[in-house]
Amino acid sequence: MLTGGVYAMVGIGLSLIFGVMRIVNFAHGEFMAVGMYLAFVLFRSAGLDPYVSLLCVAPAGLLLGAAVERLLLAPIQNAAEHAPILMTVGVGLILSNVLLLVFGAHPETIYTSYSTRTVRIFSITLSLPLLVSFALTVLVVAALYLVLTRTDFGRAIRASAQNRDAAELQGVDTRFVRTAVFGIGTGLSMAAGVLLLPALYVFPTIGGIFTLKAFVVTVLGGMGSVVGAIWGGLLLGVVESVAASFGATGSRDAFGLVAFLLVLLVRPAGLFGRSRV
Amino acid sequence: MYKTRRGGRGTLGAIAAVLAAGAAYPLILPRSLNFGISVVLFAALATAWDLIGGWAGQLSLGHAAFIGLGAYVSTLLWTKAGLGFAAGLPLAIAAGVLLALAWGFITFRLRGAYFSLSSIAVAEVLRILANNWSSLTGGPEGVSFNDLPPLFGLDLFDRRVEYYAALLLLAAALLIAFRIGGSRAGFYLEAVREDQDSSMALGVDPLRMKLIAFSLSAALTTAGGCLYAVYLSFFEPHGVFSLDLSVQLVLMSIVGGMGTVLGPLLGALVLLAFQEAFRNVFQQSSLLIYGVLIVLIVRYAPDGLSGRLQLLLRRIPWPLRSPSAR
Repeated sequence: MLTGGVYAMVGIGLSLIFGVMRIVNFAHGEFMAVGMYLAFVLFRSAGLDPYVSLLCVAPAGLLLGAAVERLLLAPIQNAAEHAPILMTVGVGLILSNVLLLVFGAHPETIYTSYSTRTVRIFSITLSLPLLVSFALTVLVVAALYLVLTRTDFGRAIRASAQNRDAAELQGVDTRFVRTAVFGIGTGLSMAAGVLLLPALYVFPTIGGIFTLKAFVVTVLGGMGSVVGAIWGGLLLGVVESVAASFGATGSRDAFGLVAFLLVLLVRPAGLFGRSRV
Repeated sequence: MYKTRRGGRGTLGAIAAVLAAGAAYPLILPRSLNFGISVVLFAALATAWDLIGGWAGQLSLGHAAFIGLGAYVSTLLWTKAGLGFAAGLPLAIAAGVLLALAWGFITFRLRGAYFSLSSIAVAEVLRILANNWSSLTGGPEGVSFNDLPPLFGLDLFDRRVEYYAALLLLAAALLIAFRIGGSRAGFYLEAVREDQDSSMALGVDPLRMKLIAFSLSAALTTAGGCLYAVYLSFFEPHGVFSLDLSVQLVLMSIVGGMGTVLGPLLGALVLLAFQEAFRNVFQQSSLLIYGVLIVLIVRYAPDGLSGRLQLLLRRIPWPLRSPSAR
């Protein structure tokens, strides 16, 4: 359930990018893995606590995402429909294999004083790092929601998502908006990676697993819907922990994927979304 | 947008020449038969992928699902039920086509990236299934077998037999691609790919066309999976259902040129030669090179190598021009 909060954060980034750019980012989980390793390196070399390194990893994600969009995705935006998919698949392969070259295939983990600490609330035992991650996710999502609904920049983003040409006619610099949105999505994904670091092992191919989870989350919640991604993330967290408590740990990941295929069959617009297919 | 190079006699001649060269290969270079098998087999698989990925424009990132399915169905029928390949191959192909129909029926009604998303999920579900259903599949250790009943009196572990079986599959894949390219179905598929709404207005049923292309692609890929299993004589869920394998097929096709008859073959040859030459340099991160190649090709040569070649050929004075380049 708490992991669901972080899933939601990964999913929101993907959903935001899809909503504005109509691009499914197949490198989303790989960006998350980069975030995890960045925080890992900062912890090992500078002794920086992951929750502190969040402050520099998230902006780094913003810049990395913006650079990828400007250099690789913007030039092909008028190409065939499959071009952005291939491009992000390629970027994901590069990222995960660079991580493999630099860090090797063995799983790494960090030991903080609170890694295994638990908190008891109403006789339910909760893992402390996951609880903190959940709280931070709620904060970030609330901030994002305020930006999207209350600021001019947020309005520009939502306008570009609804109708790009009309937004352009109203004086919105959609080129800038697209770059910014890809940056924000990447930043969210890398921040989620940092939040998961105290609770998980990190290995170079972890990104692929989370790309899939992010897809599941966004499809459950409805592609392009930020609020839907939150519910989708929580739902996936619940489904996985219920499956695990029935002793099906090995096939835990399969449950989410089967749920994903079922949703495609029954309600392609997502459980909570309006049809935008 | 890429143009489709549909062939007339020129392409048919090129297919014949390729197959003849392929048939002569074991006589000329009997020592590097393993390399030959992988090129021919992957060329067949990439051509099969291109039927749905290139011609129909439905980017599958989960074709390993069919390779794994073929590998598991055909070998488990032998190790568990004692059925040889004469029965196992058709049964595996039937299973592959059924999977394609069910999966296509769910996802082809949706547009955009949904099919690509689902393709990763399907391969992953099958991988997890094969990994955990140990009593049937042997779990993560995979399946290994060192005896197979001869097929039509031929020993399946003879590398030459495997080579010619792969060549047969390649011939089937190329001829199907050629046949589709020149037929009404090919135009329908392209119409669906370029503009689904307009094609529907003209009376094309997109779901039906995509399902046809997908079943053909699945049948060929599943058959290729059976051969792949025999060639390896050992496989594990993580290998045959992996995203890497799926991406490899996609890459061969886009390197050579999507939606062309001979492009995927060219891509398979170039990539595998490249991989063979640099095997000792890159080792475990050969996928890094794949990633870089994908990015470069999508950015600078969206039509693939055959597209570049066509451009070059067009600059050559007309008597030298190959008839297929028009």
